[in-house]
Amino acid sequence: MLNPMPGFQFDNVCKSATDSDGQVVSLLKNIDLELPENAIHALIGPSGGGKSTLLRLCNRLDAPDSGTIRFDGKDIADSEPLQLRRRIALVPQTPFMFPGSALENLQQPFRWLGDQLPGADSDIVRRNLQICQFDPEMLKRDARHLSIGQQQRLAIARALMLEPQALLLDEPTSALDRPTAERFALQLQEIGSRLELAVVLVSHDLDLVRRIADRVVFVAAGRIVASGSVREILDQPEETMIRDFMRHPEVV
Amino acid sequence: MDTTSIIPLDFVDLGLAYGLILLTAGLARWQRFGGEGKFLWASVRMVVQLLAIGYLLEGVFALRHPLPVLAILVAMGLFALQVIGSRIEKKMPRFYRVMAISLLVGCGLVAFFFCSAVVGFSPWYHPRYLIPLAGMIIGNSMNGAALAAERFAAEVTERQDEIETALSLGASSRQAAREALRSAFRAALIPATNTMAAMGIVALPGMMTGQILSGTEPMIAVRYQIAIMCAITGSVALTSLLILMQGFRCYFTRDHRLILPR
Repeated sequence: MLNPMPGFQFDNVCKSATDSDGQVVSLLKNIDLELPENAIHALIGPSGGGKSTLLRLCNRLDAPDSGTIRFDGKDIADSEPLQLRRRIALVPQTPFMFPGSALENLQQPFRWLGDQLPGADSDIVRRNLQICQFDPEMLKRDARHLSIGQQQRLAIARALMLEPQALLLDEPTSALDRPTAERFALQLQEIGSRLELAVVLVSHDLDLVRRIADRVVFVAAGRIVASGSVREILDQPEETMIRDFMRHPEVV
Repeated sequence: MDTTSIIPLDFVDLGLAYGLILLTAGLARWQRFGGEGKFLWASVRMVVQLLAIGYLLEGVFALRHPLPVLAILVAMGLFALQVIGSRIEKKMPRFYRVMAISLLVGCGLVAFFFCSAVVGFSPWYHPRYLIPLAGMIIGNSMNGAALAAERFAAEVTERQDEIETALSLGASSRQAAREALRSAFRAALIPATNTMAAMGIVALPGMMTGQILSGTEPMIAVRYQIAIMCAITGSVALTSLLILMQGFRCYFTRDHRLILPR
């Protein structure tokens, strides 16, 4: 048996969708990509280029039209989708808070499983709150009355409750102020290595990417334009498209 | 039961009654409020449509054969489908198929049970019973079905973030759609619930009033009204449940993905 490649492997993955006029639009074209475990990968590139679609394919919120995606060497199409999503946590850009307190939101995944709910003093709750810098004093608050930044951190803590092997984050710092985003980046780096997670994040925040990413993938118009280390992609980009993007990352 | 006590209305009586429509039109024109053309046309439609259905029913009653009775019920069902279709802008995938199956099974089962076990008339197609009873069941279920379908489609679209967050945390599609399903089912039952709660206080229901007018003892008419309200509620609930079960399958794949039609 072949030694399985850890992390995510995309093999010739295509994805298209039908737009409101009934036209078929190609979202991702022949994607070949490897996102090994125990590293932080940043997907960057212009909006609408296919970054979020890539994330959604990883936990099967979307299905590819063709090609295979492997996680831990196994085709994810063959695994039970609910179990897969508990192993591969995705946090969307605008996380939804379920009705109830912050603690009840953290417990929600266990409620669906029918498992015993971890309390406010349990190790897992305390660890995840610390990782996401969420004040335990606020556990009793109504989650929907928290600030957007607090909700975003709570959503990541919630995604870590089932101890996933991979963490997919869509614009995790978009609602955080600068100091909080930096502290968050450090924590993320730490949990990534401590929990041996494959972390894949989509971000426009190039400072964050520079600070924590091990590998950078530049995605535009449904294709991988380039991938490599931070230095290769951000500091000495060969492609003019990336150089243009670096000048105005928030415009495109 | 004394059915001869009803006073028949001839065309002179109808002409007198229609005078009230003309009076209304006159008032509207005199005060320059306008709109008289519209309701005069509606009143003409009412007269023609009702006379037509009257002749049709007389013919069907005289034939004493199940086929024409069934044809009328089918026509009612198709009409209900058309009304639902025109009322709902945001249609779920496979809309007409879902609606047709749900109405057929939901109304069919309840009407069969109600006519055979509750009222128990024979022959089974006795048009004087079957047509009005099934008509009320179909008409009310049509309203409930439209509400359930409309609300479910809207809820699933509005709750996309909620549903996909839940799915991403390992919830099944059933668990993720729970709030949308709940809200749609409750919406479908609102009219029946409100009608039942207000019944007898705010207004005397039409069927009961009609029966009383045609000479039925009030207590018998009341019992009929209670029974038909139960049938209507049951049929609305069953039809809506069938719509939601099928609609759910239109929006979620077997591998627990949400698919929204664009």
